[in-house]
Amino acid sequence: MIAYIIRRLVATIPVMLLVAVIVFLLVHLAPGDPASVIAGDNATSDQIASIRAALGLNRPLWEQFAIWIGHVLQGDLGHSLFWNRPVAELILQRAEPTISLAITTLILAVTISITLGVLAAWKAGSGLDRAVMGVAVTGFSVPVFVVGYLLVFVFAIQLRWLPVQGYRPIADGLWPWFERLILPSIALGLAYVALIARITRTTMLEVLAEDYIRTAEAKGVATRPMLLKHALKNAAVPIVTIVGIGVALLIGGVVITETVFNIPGIGRLVVDAIARRDYPIIQGVILVFSGVYVLVNLAVDISYTFFDPRVRY
Amino acid sequence: MKTTRRALMGGAAAVAAAPAIVRAQPAPPANRTVRAILHGDIPTFDPIWTTANMAANHGALVYDTLFGIDEKVTAQPQMIGRHGFSDDKLTLTMELREGLKWSDGTDVTSRDCVASIRRWAVRDGAGQHMMERVADVSPGDARTIIIKFKEPYGIALDAMAKTSTPFCFMMREKEALTDPMQKIETTVGSGPFIMNERETRPGTQYVYDKNPAYRPRSEPASWIAGGKVAHVDRVIIQNVPDAQTAIAALQAGEVDYVETPSLDSVPELERDRDIMLAPRSPLGDVGWIRLNFLHPPFNNAKARQAVLWAVNQENHMKATFVDPRFYQKCGAYLTCGTPMENDANTDWFKNGPNPERARQLLRESGYNGEPVTLLQATSIVYMNNTAQILAQELRGIGFNIQVVPMDWSGVVQRRAVKAAPDQGGWNIFITSADGLSSSNPIWAAAHAATGERGWFGWPSDEKHEQLRNAWVSAPDLASRQRIAREMQENAWNFVPTVYYGQWKQPVAHRRNVTGWIATPGCVPFWNVRKT
Repeated sequence: MIAYIIRRLVATIPVMLLVAVIVFLLVHLAPGDPASVIAGDNATSDQIASIRAALGLNRPLWEQFAIWIGHVLQGDLGHSLFWNRPVAELILQRAEPTISLAITTLILAVTISITLGVLAAWKAGSGLDRAVMGVAVTGFSVPVFVVGYLLVFVFAIQLRWLPVQGYRPIADGLWPWFERLILPSIALGLAYVALIARITRTTMLEVLAEDYIRTAEAKGVATRPMLLKHALKNAAVPIVTIVGIGVALLIGGVVITETVFNIPGIGRLVVDAIARRDYPIIQGVILVFSGVYVLVNLAVDISYTFFDPRVRY
Repeated sequence: MKTTRRALMGGAAAVAAAPAIVRAQPAPPANRTVRAILHGDIPTFDPIWTTANMAANHGALVYDTLFGIDEKVTAQPQMIGRHGFSDDKLTLTMELREGLKWSDGTDVTSRDCVASIRRWAVRDGAGQHMMERVADVSPGDARTIIIKFKEPYGIALDAMAKTSTPFCFMMREKEALTDPMQKIETTVGSGPFIMNERETRPGTQYVYDKNPAYRPRSEPASWIAGGKVAHVDRVIIQNVPDAQTAIAALQAGEVDYVETPSLDSVPELERDRDIMLAPRSPLGDVGWIRLNFLHPPFNNAKARQAVLWAVNQENHMKATFVDPRFYQKCGAYLTCGTPMENDANTDWFKNGPNPERARQLLRESGYNGEPVTLLQATSIVYMNNTAQILAQELRGIGFNIQVVPMDWSGVVQRRAVKAAPDQGGWNIFITSADGLSSSNPIWAAAHAATGERGWFGWPSDEKHEQLRNAWVSAPDLASRQRIAREMQENAWNFVPTVYYGQWKQPVAHRRNVTGWIATPGCVPFWNVRKT
């Protein structure tokens, strides 16, 4: 197992390098110029050129890449063109809101979706099943920002139960922290609930048709242990896989959700950086997100051995 | 000892609460704190290095100016007490008010101000214009600044008082000696507020606390002149890029002020009894259509005049600003509603739009149907709308328009390219400028007609430059108005730019937060009270 993990970790190096090259080229070949954005609308060509030179953006692309990748290999993601602060520091500053949002969304989504999926499979063809699948289709079809605005309108403006926007660190207290995550987590989690609930239902239907489930029922095993202990555990591998794949969905959703709810997380950081063409931040964040995605997939692969003893690495 | 669930939960709650107790810092109460959402993010804390208005908003909180423009568009002393020109008008002597201090506690000295003027003048168009006529800027005694001119320069005080970016902010000599091409990283000013760096989160929120050492003038506040009295203890500027979220936060009372509420939301905001709408700037903004003088077809005056006759300002304004309360059509070259407004050579405005006349002018220009590249900034609503309408208007008179959509960042990069449109250049782009700087032939860099040395579009006209210089040297307002008329007469012949209207973006604020000063160029937070 350890050898497998090491092999997988080593295999991530060329993947990350490839990501680095692609990200660098995409970011630099896209139209836009940070010097022009910094200089403002009244700036002349000469002023913009002097800012570009000061930022080192007038160097050949290969030279800029060599400097950047050299720093990255030493663990330095560079400095923001706008803030002149280390990108790693900016990412760390913004990590807490994003991690908080991701965790609350995951907990909310996985809990609700697996419950709904299991219930839908258990009562397949019933009104409950159709209702759950209706929710799933809706959740998957409505964009995150539409759900977000609707939630804000109802729960923040009309009912005044929850805040519209912003984030409070967990150090400020549990409730101030949590109350600002409720609406964003629901908005972000809806699509995730839809995805996992559908997969759970499908997988559970297959497992519930297996002989050993019939045998368990014939032996008089009660419904709850039969569903949760015998069926769900055996249906877990595809569900865990989709949870892992869904992390990419979550990352994309975080960017939109943080904008709609004004959460100062990594998603907002990268959106703002794209608008200003703050290349080091864009490159750094995408590299970090890629690394997270690779590690989540590794964790998912390893988790298979716990759910299915037949899986060996 | 038995561990119970209740004990465990109590312990967990204590652990969660502990950091809050430990970290608790005295923050001003809500009624002494103003929260505002402005039009964007602060790109840098050096307001001299950039012309971005958000940097000027930061600067106006933290720094002060020697002079300030008031609501009569007149330069008034701000950090300066006594001042005056010598009889030959070649020496300007200015004495700093007593007791001015930097936020680090040290005195503001003439050496600080001399270094600040020099650095600003490298970055600013008006400053450059002034310095070309300056023989020397030097300190006299600790509180006296002396500027010696090579020739009389009637708008010296106006240049240092102006509210178009970059403002002539005063900084400590230590920062002001920084290479003007490099950003300063330290924020130490002598303005009404001090930046709270511990609470500031770049990109999300910027916190400013009242400067207890600030000594405001005794006159009432007027634009950026007069007494800058801070009536609140803290100002928090939040960067909320989503317009709908900003409005929702205002409605819920989470913020007190939104600088640029979307105009779609105006009816909804007007129905809310807790919210008021007010003009952001008395002169508003002017929409500019820039035509590239370097390449056909707009290297020909007839083709530029064709655009002038084709543009229907009413269509452009209505498409974005909807309600006539928020916009007007304007034929004045130097902004409507200012002392420089006049009606010289405005047949195109009084009798236009006239597509037939425009077609005739285009034929006379010898235009042969070559593609005309129009840069469309899709990320900014009014620019996006204007580009679409303009494309249709110009196609209607015979131009072969090719719209190139991109975000604003893409436009600001491409507009700097002087190559031909088919080699990465352009023919038309759309922008805007605040009404005050548009009203001044020197403050707005885009008014220069110095060819490739000038602003994007690079218009060139010798007579226009002579008139700009004459305007600067004019001894009084009446002379400037006369020259402005001549300038407009000439401008609407050679057409350095085409305007698509003038608008006054409303701001929205909570009714219990009063004292907002509508000023061009920045949002002042002095004079604001919260109940």
